[in-house]
Amino acid sequence: MMNYTTNKTMPVKLKGVGDGLRITIDPTQSLDLLKEDIGKIFKNLGHLAINAKIVIDPGENGTHKELISTLGKYLKNTFDVGSVSGLSPKRSAPEERIRQHDINHSWEHYRSDVLMLAGRIRSGQKVSTKRHLVIMGDVNPGAEIFAGGDILIMGSLRGAAFAGQPDKEDAIVFALDFRPSLIQIGGFVGTGAGPSKLKIAEFAHVEKDIIVVEDYLKTNPFGKMPWPDKR
Amino acid sequence: MEGKIFVITSGKGGVGKTTATSSIGAALAMAGKRVAVVDMDIGLRNLDVVMGLENRIVFNIVDVVQGKCKLSQAAIKDRRINNLFLIPASQSDNKDVFKSEDMVRLGKRLKEEFDIVLMDCPAGIERGFENAVAAADEALVICTPEVSSVRDADRIIGLLYARSITPKLILNRINPAMTANGDMLNHEDVTDVLSIELIGLVEADDNVIVASNLGKPLVMINDSKAGQAFIRIAMRLDGHEDIPIQVPKSGSTFWRNIGSKLGFK
Repeated sequence: MMNYTTNKTMPVKLKGVGDGLRITIDPTQSLDLLKEDIGKIFKNLGHLAINAKIVIDPGENGTHKELISTLGKYLKNTFDVGSVSGLSPKRSAPEERIRQHDINHSWEHYRSDVLMLAGRIRSGQKVSTKRHLVIMGDVNPGAEIFAGGDILIMGSLRGAAFAGQPDKEDAIVFALDFRPSLIQIGGFVGTGAGPSKLKIAEFAHVEKDIIVVEDYLKTNPFGKMPWPDKR
Repeated sequence: MEGKIFVITSGKGGVGKTTATSSIGAALAMAGKRVAVVDMDIGLRNLDVVMGLENRIVFNIVDVVQGKCKLSQAAIKDRRINNLFLIPASQSDNKDVFKSEDMVRLGKRLKEEFDIVLMDCPAGIERGFENAVAAADEALVICTPEVSSVRDADRIIGLLYARSITPKLILNRINPAMTANGDMLNHEDVTDVLSIELIGLVEADDNVIVASNLGKPLVMINDSKAGQAFIRIAMRLDGHEDIPIQVPKSGSTFWRNIGSKLGFK
């Protein structure tokens, strides 16, 4: 990586960044002075400037679009640089934090928020948890399962399922064979229209105050999330 | 050798517990076992009628538990089948007359006297069920291919597991023609939900009603499909576990209709 740095008192600094060059300017200086300084530096670069990707950083205060476009034209005409742009806007603080989460593998330190059971839940039995609920097995007709979060059934769901209790309306109920007698998500109750007879993985969620059941693989509700996040 | 107590239960009423109890009891006695069938439906006794022994009752199970008579006095011997005894229920008491401990004590005495004891459990999951199950070593769950029966059987299975009893399943009153048409649950649908060991499939059979009205053991009617199925179940319980489970099949309904028009069975 190149690192040409001019005298510190000078209003223009040049730095090689990734696949291009970054010029840090002091926007309080006059345009002529800036042009002169930039000209000096780019003369030294010689052929390295041709087709280079230039980013102009006017510092903390303001975007200085006009200044950047004027300098850009000057650079393109005089030194045949490839492209000139200002700094891309900074990401918002929460987004930055979530990205950091992903990078740091924050979930590795996360305590389990899931009650995971294996076996068959029979008629008359009631499973209840304040957390998410995963059942590796079947839920028979007449059985009732309650969860504070999501319900995932790795088998056939034929009993009654109450997810997101009492008021978490973004909870889902998922089953490999989705044939529940009743679904409740948060305060919304779904009965009536019988479940499909297809043995496909389906899930129920609330959409515009109605419980909707969809093919899980087709809808892929979480596949569009840009990075993994704990639920 | 000490005997074994089986409880025959279902949760739902009217699925064939009493018929199964009397038929399996009779089949085991015919195979040479000393068998007692016990009617646990205190207050609503039926087993004596189905077995045709209602006119010979002097003492009943409540008398035995309360010490009013000996066990041997209450046990009515069947005159057609050797080694088959009925211990009838009381018709005038109710289920609260027993505690579970009473049954455990009675169970020990029954096991000393008999090779096999079959308890006919009342419907429901209350006191009567608790009493019938208290002394049992094993359980047979009777279920018909109906959604309501399956659900109740499922509940009963959960309760039996909670008492460390691993039940076996008898699917009763199968209508092969309806099953073939898809109008009735097939045995795979039922075992899929209940997921316990299947020990027999019994076809719906008009002979059951005939036999119970006559007070004649179903297993003594030779052309009764249900009777034969109960004999096979009894054999499996008696250790012949290799007897294959036969799935009831409907013959050609066309020829059967013609046959019945002409007066053939």
